[in-house]
Amino acid sequence: MLSKKLAIEVLNAALETGADYAEIFYEDSHSSSLTIENGKVETCNSNSMCGVGLRLLKENQCVYGYTNNLSKKGLLALANSLNKSFHDQRLITVTDLQMIRCKNRNPVVHSFDEVPLEEKIALVREGVEEIYSLKDPRIVRTIGGFGANHRFVAVFNSKGKWFKRDSEFGRLFYTVIVADQNGFESTFEGPGCQGNIDYFRTKVKAREVARKAAETAFKMLTAKECPSGVMPVVIGNGWGGVLFHESCGHPLESSAVAKGLSCFSNNKIGDFIASPIVSAVDDSTIPGEWGSIDIDDEGNLGSKRLLIKNGKLNDYMIDDFNGRRMGREGNGACRRQNYRFCPTSRMSNTYICNGKSTPEEIIAATKLGLYAVSFNGGSVDPTTGEFNFGCSEAYIIRDGKIAEPVKGATLIGKGFEILKHIDMIANDLALAQGMCGAASGSIRTNVGQPTLRISQITVGGRGGELK
Amino acid sequence: MKYDLFFKLAKEAGIQEAELYINESRSLSVSLFHGEVDNYSDNNGYTILARGIVNGKLGAASCDVWDKEKAAYLVKEIANNGKVIENEDPVIIFGGSPKYKKINTFNKELGNVSIDEKLAKLHELEEKIKAYDERIVEVAGVEYIESSEKVTILNTKGLKLSQQTNYFVYLGQAVARQGDQTKSGYDYLLANDFAKADVAKLAAKIGKETVDQLGGEACESAKYTAILSPDVVKSLVGVLVSHVDAEEVQKQSSLFIGKLDQKVLSSKITIEDKPLNKNVFARWFDDEGVATFNKPIFKNGVLKTYLYNLTTAAKDGVESTGNGYRQGAKMGVSSNFLVVKPGKKSLEELYQSVGNGVLITDVSGLHAGLNPQSGNFSLQSTGYLIKDGKRDRPLDIITISGNLLEVFNNILEVGGDETVFPEGVSTPSLVIKKLAVSGK
Repeated sequence: MLSKKLAIEVLNAALETGADYAEIFYEDSHSSSLTIENGKVETCNSNSMCGVGLRLLKENQCVYGYTNNLSKKGLLALANSLNKSFHDQRLITVTDLQMIRCKNRNPVVHSFDEVPLEEKIALVREGVEEIYSLKDPRIVRTIGGFGANHRFVAVFNSKGKWFKRDSEFGRLFYTVIVADQNGFESTFEGPGCQGNIDYFRTKVKAREVARKAAETAFKMLTAKECPSGVMPVVIGNGWGGVLFHESCGHPLESSAVAKGLSCFSNNKIGDFIASPIVSAVDDSTIPGEWGSIDIDDEGNLGSKRLLIKNGKLNDYMIDDFNGRRMGREGNGACRRQNYRFCPTSRMSNTYICNGKSTPEEIIAATKLGLYAVSFNGGSVDPTTGEFNFGCSEAYIIRDGKIAEPVKGATLIGKGFEILKHIDMIANDLALAQGMCGAASGSIRTNVGQPTLRISQITVGGRGGELK
Repeated sequence: MKYDLFFKLAKEAGIQEAELYINESRSLSVSLFHGEVDNYSDNNGYTILARGIVNGKLGAASCDVWDKEKAAYLVKEIANNGKVIENEDPVIIFGGSPKYKKINTFNKELGNVSIDEKLAKLHELEEKIKAYDERIVEVAGVEYIESSEKVTILNTKGLKLSQQTNYFVYLGQAVARQGDQTKSGYDYLLANDFAKADVAKLAAKIGKETVDQLGGEACESAKYTAILSPDVVKSLVGVLVSHVDAEEVQKQSSLFIGKLDQKVLSSKITIEDKPLNKNVFARWFDDEGVATFNKPIFKNGVLKTYLYNLTTAAKDGVESTGNGYRQGAKMGVSSNFLVVKPGKKSLEELYQSVGNGVLITDVSGLHAGLNPQSGNFSLQSTGYLIKDGKRDRPLDIITISGNLLEVFNNILEVGGDETVFPEGVSTPSLVIKKLAVSGK
């Protein structure tokens, strides 16, 4: 790791031409991944990543660079190259660095590093064997895998602070490809957690995860094409949270809000932006969760942000740099994939809060509509609020009952309109692990929500009119 | 030499054959917001992907710093990882092709253009987007990105290959508003000859694309004759061609199993893989060191070849087609530069031949709305109605849905408006019959 002495020297070189903030982001991470395909270990790989990202700010300007040359000469060369963007007198000199202390809510309980490769292989194989035990000739290909990442980060900044963060993540995943005379279907399941192999030994059962992937694939293979048009849609808990993540989460990040580029930019705190039964949260403090962080990439502590309170806009996800245009301090949302990315405001564990109905009541109250249980993901243009997300498992609801499965459904709309059309929320909140891609790279985030109903949303599919 | 230690340690560890794939990159980017530089970055990246054969199995590891410790790390990990591999596919570290057709993809001149000149064009881009139309309320951002990359392959079979590439991109995003409706538009230009960068033309394109979308509403849900813009075809053709990957075919998950030399697409379409082209995408060797060459994949709708790397080729008893490309740690199969052979008609002529239908200009959410395995898709789209042989009003909140094979079999016409995309695709518009559009 960098010594404090060298960090101070690099920060002061960076600050020489008038930057009002400088920050060194040091990263040393190791990851490993393996895949078992059609029963045999096919790939096994290790990766070591080590580099430094240097960020300079001056008012509303941001300068960023990274290097793998971690020698004193290499780091000073980076600082002296980046500081050429400014031409003023020095404003700040760093003389000492104090350590920021924070709660360790995400300790490494039982490190993935200490688990022998053979045990990881055995874990993945359990699920693969479960799929084969189904003895279904429609199974064409199975890919099971396990990936782990141990990430050590140290940040030094010109506020005279430094901190280090040591974290570990693991993810077990299965892809099942099935086929019949009508074509192919594939499904993916991938639960993950922080720093604890016991999660995969006790809480999540590889066999169940793999079986779920296979069963969904079979169901979708025989499903009819989803009808299209505007209809009521009940969205399942857990993965259904992709709806909120895309339609509302991204537009509430300060990277969109600060420049007036978000579809919510014209709204003020306290304005109604959703149905009054909707409250929503981004919480990076949930112990051990996939999207949790104790301290963000610029030294602000993780926090719970109540984004929407009873339908009213209440808060944003803010980083210090974008916060400058908003007159706000960062609230612990500054994140990046790795040292190769300049950090910005991002989500962590984002979810819609529990309501008062039960999932059964919501289904029973829907005469004709779609029940979208799970999703492949989606995307949004934060400026227009236009979003889409594709269903991986869906059913038609007829007379208050779940009826036939359908495939190929895509839900589209404008976030600020859809939030107002949420008319029932259940009490079965669940979170689901995903990867979110945006300006500062691909990061771990949880989506989540209870089962809820949107009274009208546009559904795209190939099955004609819903009858 | 810098990397000798790795090969020495590999030999000592009993690794029979070993290889390093080294990627050195430099990227510069500057973005403006309201006439001021708001982001500037200057990055030097370095990645080393190592692999080696241990008892007939391939072990792999990678890192991004080079020193004695990392050389030892790579050797240790290759040995450990290789031991657990059970796959019985042939593993090959390649000694080299008999002949390579070298192509120059590095323009030294780009480094001689001053940052002030690059910035001046960026300011011009921002100003001209803003000035294009009074309904453009914001230029969400304009950016200049310059990238250079050097790929080197070194191995114990004596292979030593290196190719350097550079290019730059100007891009911009505009926001237009009319009443309650907000629309955004985005476009870019990519090249490596700075003198040819016409940012005024780019600004006009972005401006027009953005304001033209205003005033739209959904159309009736129905099946329409549709023009798919090059932007849309580019997204679909990439997934279509992933099914000619020999690994997908061998693992029984391709739509084209057993279809070689059969007509699988409309006879109006020809799709080629052209790595030896005259643009920044050219590659004269693939990631395994095999010499690349141009070839038709689909000729007048007939499947002419699968795409192979060394391993899949050995399994099928054929030669590699020079399509071995890294997909992370794995040596996968990929096309290099796809060219959909253009026809002759202009867009206006295509409107006339369609008469009444839709023009689809963009699709979003491909990772969620397009099932790469089945080829089924349902995608959020933007576009326009076509009425009486002319482009009519814009469409808001619609999806298009169908199946890739259906789309590429339902081609009525191929346009002459070919466009090159950074994803490594050149394609014109296609006219498709009976495309399902859902709106109202």
